[in-house]
Amino acid sequence: MTPLTHEEFFAKLGELILSGKNDPLFEIFLTQKRYTYGSELPKPSEENPFPETSLEKPLPILIHATDGLFKEERPQRTKLSTLVQPDQLDGFYSRYAEVCKGSMAALKPRDRRTKKAKARKKKGGAGQTSMTAIP
Amino acid sequence: MPYYTKSEDWLKQSSLLIEARPATTKVTTTYTVKPPRKEDSEDDEKTKPTTTTTTTPKKSYGHLILKTYDPASGTCLKYRTSKAAEVSRLIQMLGTLGKKMAGVPEEDIKDEVMADAPPAAAAVAVEAAAGSGASTPAPGASASAPAPGGGGGGGKGKKKKGKR
Repeated sequence: MTPLTHEEFFAKLGELILSGKNDPLFEIFLTQKRYTYGSELPKPSEENPFPETSLEKPLPILIHATDGLFKEERPQRTKLSTLVQPDQLDGFYSRYAEVCKGSMAALKPRDRRTKKAKARKKKGGAGQTSMTAIP
Repeated sequence: MPYYTKSEDWLKQSSLLIEARPATTKVTTTYTVKPPRKEDSEDDEKTKPTTTTTTTPKKSYGHLILKTYDPASGTCLKYRTSKAAEVSRLIQMLGTLGKKMAGVPEEDIKDEVMADAPPAAAAVAVEAAAGSGASTPAPGASASAPAPGGGGGGGKGKKKKGKR
């Protein structure tokens, strides 16, 4: 599977998440890990027992996205992946957040009504305390 | 597997894990349309009978699970939420973890964290201002109250508030 460009990845990811809007069993898995393929690390030694923790140059990150299809349907599974270079991380994640926020519609929206009620309660409470404090 | 109740705790522990094992740790985000399973729910819900599923016509919401897993040590850290308001913050957390994974030098990460901090402080300041704003008119109101006659005025005010 060849990695997609960021543009393609975000377009397809948005579609993929929205495709499961009406399916109650829909799941999507997004993973991220260090892309180590092709990078040569020095062998662990006495002075440097963990060469992977102190890199000379940052490595790219590999991002995967798949839908959670069951075993029989697995061949039709959608798989998306992309590589993010260390200098592109900030831009990538802000786009990523936008795409996820826009498409994950099954999550609970911010409840404005309770917030309003709470604010009113607070105001009332403040008034009461000042009244009782005077005598 | 227990979940962290605060996303900040999850982020802290996950970043420690990634610092220790940057090459093997992976972060998985699972988005599910259906609500979390009963056995995964919190303990106080467990004690209730399972009949609640049939009696509650309440709208069910999906959820999001963040998992940091290191197969080499078997460490698994999880956080779960169903609030849409948290999504962008959580993805930014994934970004911070991504930087650690990539091996971006510490100073850059710290700069990012500092850049995030001022809005939070500003929010607190605004809240404090709102709080003082709400409390400042109150003394004025109470100062005028004693004029008609101490206790009676206070009682009236109280009654009104209670009715609301």
